[in-house]
Order: sequence, then C-alpha cells, then structure tokens
Amino acid sequence: MKTAVTAGLFAATCLTAAAHADALDDIISSGTLRCAVVLDFPPMGSRDEANNPIGFDVDYCNDLAAALGVEAEIVETPFPERIPALMSGRVDVGVASTSDTLERAKTVGMTIPYFAFQMAVTANDASGITSFEDMKGKTVGATAGTYEAIALEEQVKEWGEGTFRPYQTQADVFLALSQGQLDATVSTSTVAQANVKTGNFPGISVVGNAPFDTDYVALFAMREEYGLINFLNLFINQQVRTGRYAELYEKWVGGDLPDLTVGGTYR
Amino acid sequence: MFDTALTWNDMAFLAQGAWMTLMVTAVAVVAGTVMGIVFGVLRYQAGPYWSLPLTFVLDIFRSVPLLIQLVLGNAFQSIARLGWDPFTTSCVILSLYTAAYCTEIVRGGIEAVPPTTRRAARSLGMTWRQDMMHIVAPLATRVSLPAWIGLTLGVLKDSSLVLWLGLIELLRASQILVTRLQEPLFILLICGAIYFLISFPIARLGGYLEKRWSPND
Amino acid sequence: MFNYTFRWNQAFNALPRLLEGALVTLEIALLSMLIGIVIAILLTGFRLSGNALLSAIARTWVEVARNTPALFQIYMAHFGLGAFGIHLSPYTSLLAGIAFNNAGYLAENFRGALKAIPDTQTRSARSLGMPAIQAFRLIVMPQMLRIAFLPATNQMVWAILMTSLGVTVGMNTDLAGITQELNARSFRTFEFFAMAAVIYYLIAKAVTLAARALAWRMFRY
Repeated sequence: MKTAVTAGLFAATCLTAAAHADALDDIISSGTLRCAVVLDFPPMGSRDEANNPIGFDVDYCNDLAAALGVEAEIVETPFPERIPALMSGRVDVGVASTSDTLERAKTVGMTIPYFAFQMAVTANDASGITSFEDMKGKTVGATAGTYEAIALEEQVKEWGEGTFRPYQTQADVFLALSQGQLDATVSTSTVAQANVKTGNFPGISVVGNAPFDTDYVALFAMREEYGLINFLNLFINQQVRTGRYAELYEKWVGGDLPDLTVGGTYR
Repeated sequence: MFDTALTWNDMAFLAQGAWMTLMVTAVAVVAGTVMGIVFGVLRYQAGPYWSLPLTFVLDIFRSVPLLIQLVLGNAFQSIARLGWDPFTTSCVILSLYTAAYCTEIVRGGIEAVPPTTRRAARSLGMTWRQDMMHIVAPLATRVSLPAWIGLTLGVLKDSSLVLWLGLIELLRASQILVTRLQEPLFILLICGAIYFLISFPIARLGGYLEKRWSPND
Repeated sequence: MFNYTFRWNQAFNALPRLLEGALVTLEIALLSMLIGIVIAILLTGFRLSGNALLSAIARTWVEVARNTPALFQIYMAHFGLGAFGIHLSPYTSLLAGIAFNNAGYLAENFRGALKAIPDTQTRSARSLGMPAIQAFRLIVMPQMLRIAFLPATNQMVWAILMTSLGVTVGMNTDLAGITQELNARSFRTFEFFAMAAVIYYLIAKAVTLAARALAWRMFRY
C-alpha cells in the first residue's frame, strides 16, 4: 500500500511538473474548452429528443468557447461529480448552476454570479399544500447538496416535524413528487416552471415562492487559476452588457430578468 | 402493447448503454482475472504469513462498498491530477475489485489440487513451471470456473454503479429516458429485462458446468 | 505536487455523525438479513412443495434477484412501485430491495445445502413417524442452516455493502447518505469518503468475526 502511494505520488509529480502553464493559456492552445454541465436540470441543462445536450448552461458554455476562440465540449457531470471532474483536469470550467457558498469556495474558485435563482414551492395537488408554510409536517425533498436542499433541511429541523429527503438528481425529485412520494419540493423557480410546463408530471403545480435568499450561481474553475477566473468574470460582465444574458434568459426561461448584483456592496 | 413514447431512437440509446455496460465489464473481468491469477499464485506460493500485506489490501476491496470505492478512486485520481476520464477510472476500480475476488477463487482452485498429484509431477522431473502449466492449471480451472462465472456475473451487475461517475451505461441510460419520457415502470422493466437477458444465459452456463464438472461425477 | 491540501480535521469533526449513520447501516443490514432468511426458507419450501405454481414463483424470485443489479432492485422498489401508487420511504425501499436480493441468494444457498443432506435422513425421520413438516423442521433445517451458514455470512457482508446504494433513493440517515451530504456541502470528497470506507471496513470485519464466533459456539460438535 505504502509503496503504491509513493509510486502514485511520484507519478503525479512527474505529470504535474510537465504541465505548468496557466490554465487560460492551456485552453486557448488546446483549442477546446471543456465545460462541466449538469444535464438533468432543465432548463439549465437537459437533453433533446436525439439525446443531445441543450439548455442555458450549454449555450453559455458555447458562448464562452466562442469568446475564447475555441471549440466547446460539453462534459456531462452529475451534481456530485462536478468538482472531481474539475480537480482531475477533465474539465476546465464548471458551467453547472453551482451556488457560490463560502463552504465550497474553500475548495474551488468561484466567479461573480452568472445567474440567479428564486426559490419556488412545487406541490403535489393531492397534498393540499398551497404555500410555503403548508409544508410544515409534510414529506418534502430537494436535490441533494443544492442551496435549496440545505435551506429546506434546516427549515424542516426548525419546524420539528415532517421529513426531508434528498434525491441525487433533480429528475428524481420531480419523479418522486409526481408519484406522491413527496408532498412538496423547493427548487429554483426556473426549474420548477420548466418541469411543470413539460406536462410530463401530471398533478403537480407551482404554488408559491419560498422565503429563501436569492440563490446566486457562479462559474467555477481551479482555485489558483486567477487568470482564468479573471477572464470568466469579465466574460459574465460582457454577457450582461451585450444583452446576450437577457437573450438567453428569454430563450430558456422567460419572464423577469433576475438582477445579478447585490445592492450596497462591492464585487 | 403499452402506449409509450419510446422510439427506436431511444431503444438505440438503451442499446448503447448496454454496450457500455458490457465494455466496462469485459475490461474489468479480463484485467481483474489476469491480476487475480498473478495474486492468487503469489498468495499460494508466499504462504499465509508473507502474503499478509497482499491479503489485507485485497480484503479492503471486498469489505468496502463498490460505490464508495468508485467515488474515492475518482477523488484520488482527481487529486493526483491523473486526468482519467470516467471510463478509465471505472475500469481501474472495477478491475481491482474483480482481482480481489478472483485471487480468492484462484487460490482456492490451486489448493484444491491434491498435493500428491503435484509431488508426482515434480518427481517425474517436471519443473515448477511445467507443473503449474500442465498439472495445476487444468485441474484448478475446472474447480474454479463456476465460481469465476459467478464473479463475472457479479461484476456485470455491479458495473451499474459506474453511473455515479457520469458514465452512461444501461441503468443510467434508462434513468435519462425516464427523466424525459416519465414512464418509469415501463422503461425500468425494459432495463431489467436487458440485464436479465445478458446474465441469465451466462448463469445457466455456469450452472451447467458446475453440474458437469462437479468432483464426483 | 498534489495541489490539494487534505483537511482531515473537517472529516474528524464529522465522525460522530458518521458513526450514527453506521448504526443505521448496520440496522438495515441486520433487518434485511432476518427478512431475507425467512423469505428464503419459504421459497425453499415452495420449491420442495411440488406445487407447480409455488415452485415457479420461487424460481422466478431467485432468478430475478440474482440476475439484475441490486441498484436496479432498490431503484425499482422506490420508483417502480411508486408508479403503482405504492409509496415506500427511502428506508423501506432500501430495506425491501436488499431483503429481496438476500432472499434470492439465500434461497439458492439453502437449496445447495439441502442437496448435501442425504435423502435417507428425511426418510428415516418419516419412518419414525414424524410428519413431513416436523421432519423438515427438526432434522433437515438445522443441518441446512449449518451448511448454509458460511455463505450466509458472506451475504451479510454483501448486505452491508448494498446499504450504500440507498443514496440513490433519497436515503440520508445511513453512513453513505450522511457521507454524501457532507460531501455535497463542502466538496471535500476524498476526506469524507475515505473516512466512510474505513468505517465500512471495520463494520464488515466486525460482522465477519462475530459470525465466526457464533458459528464456533453453535455448530461445534
């Protein structure tokens, strides 16, 4: 075991020593930008009839690649695999609707927000839930590890009754909801509307907003790659400036464009 | 017939998933068996005391859930920046996992060869190598084959866990279709049927060989 | 170098929670084993009954349990049954899935064990005037359980390993579930899963040793 680890360390040293250019340079010279995208998170990422990737995040990655003058490659990652994919150098950037929590920023580098979610409550019609408060004492769930899952679990603990269930994918949450395994879920309102709109899930509807803070999501890259993160920040700024952000929002979501700035502070 | 939105296109998608399952299984079983034979012979030759470190390491692979192994292996390769894609990572972990079980099977097979037979071979002037190749290998294979087929089946089924790393194998392909078409029961049944169709004939072959080759026929 | 700083203290702080999860894991494994043994004995009985329908049920159960992935079985117990309006909680789905799997494998073990018990024993028991049920219960079953004990121990270890699959159906109180939750919050995958791996290893070893001690007490001549 020990020799294996030593050998592994040695191999790792050799590999990293060779490639120590800036990530931004690497992307441009390699000619491809590899983005981690979550594809069961419509409208941000999903698959069309031919099972090809589509969605806001997919388009965003394509724009980013165009800005860099390279080809885009969409790497599907389930939610839990986003970070290992980045760490192992399988992807360059995460365009994966990742909430910019401080806990995560200890591990990866987050950009300024590129999208913002409002939280909505979606309920199974049979449960009789019509507002956030009605969820007290019911069986509720959300996608494991997401911003809303963490907030909802804390809320359930505070109420002291009812159960919370995390599922590994957004798809499983809505499947469980439409089957009646869950009475209600809190998800981003865009995701909720997109799922209800598909007509795939009979008997569920969006019943209101959840009083959680706005969930700002960021692109992420290796923590020490400041050159790349700088570029990404400027890119996000340009997307908003040029109206491309509004255009993509209209295309995939529709409605009021969420503000990406927080009043009364820098950054 | 069911009223389903499932198209031939989707069936092809499932078939692709099944192909991925078969590929991962094939790589893992071949690599795992080769390693298993090496480790098995090593364990037998070194004796229980000297092979203790090897036994311990292989035992870990049999006592920790495969899901945890996969996640951990993936995290390790990402920390070491090996840059493996999910397919490579899955194959490496599954191969080691297979090897851990295969070692025991091989060792059991070798131990089942009567020492008298081997001594007879050696006293006829055969070298250790010849003894291993011409006496032990055929006899041990006979004893171990049913268990090895069982292991292959196990790996085939356990390979469904690689979906966690984002590899689109049979079960993951089904989940993707369930997400889009919302017909969980129907699609999952098809998925189960495909697994069954692949593994049942192999299981039957194993059962047949076991019967055919059982020690006292 | 590694370009990654391990933060083990974070993982050690979570140790109490992980150990709580380990208890749940052990509980599910034990329960699934008990249920599995009961069903497996029933299935074995079905097979021996000579009734075509009963033995077909037993055969189907065994073949499906042994020829589809455990992950599939658990997923089916949750979302497959859910489509029929049968709602099992993650805990129950996981338990049902593993028990289903255990029953299939154990029934096959029992069948193999039965074959090893000479037919003459049943016949002599019957000729001593025992009814068929009694002959099975008093003569055959104790021997069958002894022969099947070692494979059953392996199945128990399997059951522990299978509990980790509960995360796919929303289980968040067992060891794997808690590990995954901690991981999703902080992205410190390696530390938390390494910790979980050690705990799983220790549980599996403890169970194997306990089973050996039990076998030594119960089955020595």
